[in-house]
Amino acid sequence: MGIVTEIQRFSLNDGPGIRATVFLKGCGMRCAWCHNPETCAAAPELMVYPEKCIGCGACVGFDETRARAGLPPPRGELRLGDADVCFSGAIRAAGREMTAAEVMEEIIQDTVYYETSGGGVTVSGGEAMAQPEFVHEILSLCHDNGVPGAVETNLDYPFGRLEALRGLLGLVMADIKVYDNDQHRKWTGVGNARILENVKLLKELDVPVIIRTPVIPGVNDSVEAVAPIARFIADSVPNLRYYELLNFNPLGGSKYSALGLDNPFANARPLPDADMDRLAGAARSSGIPVRVG
Amino acid sequence: MRDRVNQLPPDAPMDYRDRMAILRERKLEDTQDKLRELGPVNSDDHGIIAPPKGFAEERAKGIYSNHPNGSWYGYDGYSENFYRLMDAYPAFVDPCDITPCRGMAYLSNLRPPRGFLPEANYDYLRPAHELYDIVPGIGAQQHFGIDYTIGLTLGWGGLLEKIERYRAVNPGHDDFYDAEVKTIRAIQQWMKHALEAVDEALTRETHPVLIDNLKRTRESTEYMITGAPRSLREACSWMCWFKAASRTYNGDGAGGQLDELLRPYYEADLAAGQITRDEAIFYISCMLLCDPHYYQVGGLTADGKDMVTYFSYMILEAADWLDSSCNITVRVHDGMDRDFLKTSVEYLFKNKNGWPRFSGDDALTEGFMRLGYPKELAVKRVAVGCHWMSLPGLEYTVNDCVKTNNARVFEVALGQMRRDGQPPSVARLWDIFAEHTRRCVGATAEGIRFHLKHQWRNAPELPLNLLSHGPIERGLDISGGGARYYNMCIDGTGIATVADSFAALEQRVEEEGRLTWDRVFAALDSDFEGVDGEYVRLMLSGSNRYGGGDTPADHWARRISRHFTECVTAQDGDGLKFVPGWFSWSNTIPLGKAVGATPNGRKARTPINHGANPHPGFRRDGALTAMSNAICAIQPGYGNTAPIQLELDPGMARDDEAVIKIVDYIRAIMKQGATLLNINIIDAGKILEADKNPALYPDLVVRVTGFTAYFCMLTKEFRQLVVERILRAA
Repeated sequence: MGIVTEIQRFSLNDGPGIRATVFLKGCGMRCAWCHNPETCAAAPELMVYPEKCIGCGACVGFDETRARAGLPPPRGELRLGDADVCFSGAIRAAGREMTAAEVMEEIIQDTVYYETSGGGVTVSGGEAMAQPEFVHEILSLCHDNGVPGAVETNLDYPFGRLEALRGLLGLVMADIKVYDNDQHRKWTGVGNARILENVKLLKELDVPVIIRTPVIPGVNDSVEAVAPIARFIADSVPNLRYYELLNFNPLGGSKYSALGLDNPFANARPLPDADMDRLAGAARSSGIPVRVG
Repeated sequence: MRDRVNQLPPDAPMDYRDRMAILRERKLEDTQDKLRELGPVNSDDHGIIAPPKGFAEERAKGIYSNHPNGSWYGYDGYSENFYRLMDAYPAFVDPCDITPCRGMAYLSNLRPPRGFLPEANYDYLRPAHELYDIVPGIGAQQHFGIDYTIGLTLGWGGLLEKIERYRAVNPGHDDFYDAEVKTIRAIQQWMKHALEAVDEALTRETHPVLIDNLKRTRESTEYMITGAPRSLREACSWMCWFKAASRTYNGDGAGGQLDELLRPYYEADLAAGQITRDEAIFYISCMLLCDPHYYQVGGLTADGKDMVTYFSYMILEAADWLDSSCNITVRVHDGMDRDFLKTSVEYLFKNKNGWPRFSGDDALTEGFMRLGYPKELAVKRVAVGCHWMSLPGLEYTVNDCVKTNNARVFEVALGQMRRDGQPPSVARLWDIFAEHTRRCVGATAEGIRFHLKHQWRNAPELPLNLLSHGPIERGLDISGGGARYYNMCIDGTGIATVADSFAALEQRVEEEGRLTWDRVFAALDSDFEGVDGEYVRLMLSGSNRYGGGDTPADHWARRISRHFTECVTAQDGDGLKFVPGWFSWSNTIPLGKAVGATPNGRKARTPINHGANPHPGFRRDGALTAMSNAICAIQPGYGNTAPIQLELDPGMARDDEAVIKIVDYIRAIMKQGATLLNINIIDAGKILEADKNPALYPDLVVRVTGFTAYFCMLTKEFRQLVVERILRAA
């Protein structure tokens, strides 16, 4: 049993071929720019979209005065179960308990697409490896059903967790968000020493590796920030498939307010294509294949 | 109609690409003129241009009536009025083009609106047709495939000889043969008038390349008044003449297996050293410009070989040169040239004009064989219509003309269950719905039988008979015994509306007990009025849905399709076969207007679902795989289609790997039994801007259903339909 935020089928950006991406809930990092903030906390939580409230009064904390004004009850009065009786989309639960078999029941429906395209299933997050047993269960079922498995991870945990998936993984996708340890800690809440050590160990898994860096305005959107990451990868990841620079994704903005959180990057915008190409060029000078996503 | 003669300086660059670029710009001008003068139309582009002012009004004064009601019917009425129209039909000369013609009018628009032949009364069918809101197709014209090789081999002169040969062996059919002769004479007369226009253009044109082209046009037009095409240029040109005439007669839009149709001419020209590759592409492009008929490219030969050749690539390249509305379908099979499929997808994303479409060989061939036809025949049934396939020249089908409104059938069933006093249940509702489906399909088939009995006396298929195997040989119209095979299309509509309705009632009333039957009925009766009505509506529409991925609604859809298929195929008899499909065409709006609020949360009089697609919002991630699986699973499986309609963001093909993923998606759905895939590549922002002022976007092409149309030519209601779908997909 695990907590799943979402299962996204026909996923084209999380590895080779056509994939299904299973987003698990819970992450030890708190990246300031995270575009999936609803996946950070380990437990299911409520997302509230007041503009969708129709004032039906079905939720527990129903308040007639607020309902007449087209507003749902205050967040503090809502319970998780309210999401089950709200059909307008004003109150939604982020995260639900699922068994690995239930996850499999969903993703196995696209087997023909995985087979035809060389795709498979990517377990992501949040941080996928925050639920290591659940990931193992899912990937075991994938393996048993001939579906190639992959994991998308921040590598901030003892490497043994990933090693336990040996034989179940066809691909590892890992992030190096910032190369400088202090800056990494500043922007994500944790240092990167263990992450970089784990990157070096990835070769032991003997599977292709994709390293990704989300390029965030004002954080790591410079040649000085990207080039050392590329050099490190060139020196440390012999089984690299490619290094991918992901442009800042602003689409998570509304989720922050739905969770009752401030969005520190509310005004940030994606980099112009030319800037991304410039950074990719700088990364390529380390002699590794680079893509812009 | 604009003057295109001598509009360019004598030293203007004029290679084949230049000429096509000029023609394309002029096509956009023509589209704007058409919008201004004819107003919006919700159908294919047809290559029609606006005629000179007052032309239609003038021609309407000169019609020939052969019935006391002032209208015309049958061989005599249609052939005489067609002759009169074509004798006065304007020529269209563009010195850049290879054929001096365009379609400009429809004969049907001149006909007084007196309906079907009064002597053939079908009032006895109307109660059932009205109860179930059936689109019966009585009086429907064209919508079957012809064999262009007949015309390309014989030419007009050869066709006249063929008519006289068979007239001699079929005494008593002179009215038919006279009408066919007059039809050919009408077209020949038009061509003669065009020659005069070309002569006039030659007196004014000063560009040396265009003068030379006009001379070649004159020579080939004069020759082809009787002669059969001798070159690729003439083959393309002959097809333009036929298509423009046939469109004018009754709107015909079926093409053929274009690569194999034209390749022999190209190869003969090459062998004779009289053509270049660019020249050939230009000729094909001109033909596609003249009329975006439905053509197929690729497929399998009867002995299982891939039909794709270098010439198939040239067809796509010609469409790329044109970069406009086009209806080319690529037939996909497991062993096909994968590079060709990739090239097709690249053009789809590059031009964003809704072409090519993709059809699934396996499902179509196996399905057609299930009707009892051999594989050799099944592989020749090509995509030549909006959502449909046809054996060129061999079958009569009324494809896409006959629709059952299954959402209305559901509403009738629900009404009966509520009235009969017994406790309501989903199981009872299904039983009643199944019985009404059977009755609805039976009434639909009766309508088709009526059509087949009387249509030849009402509105015969005079041009299309000429390029079919049988009518001339037997002296019978193709609708009245002339065809080799009669595979009559009956399409169901509203499958998602009905499946979601069953699933919602099952989930919310019977399984969860959140709603009572009475509360649902009250909400339906009030069209979900008030806060409680809206709450009920949202709960119902938030139930598991068709397209969600092996949901109970997906299971309901399969059950509905199986039953519908059984009902349709049970109508076979008297040499007729009835072929089920799921396709609404652009009828989602009128069919929806006939249906009140439904238990899937759909408000009264709003559109039913589009074709076989789920209702928008069917799944939070909108996963195309889940949707595609659902549509593949409801294919009736007899060689007609239940298409998948997609709107994709242009960014999905941002690099080579992404294109290959789309290619693999197409291959995967075809493995799953998909029959036809239509894709719009559209960015939501552009659609929104175009919707504000469509006239500013004369080149924006969208695939509305199976057909493509200029966005600016659609009515506001239809534009809204496209806008909503695209925005939800985005």
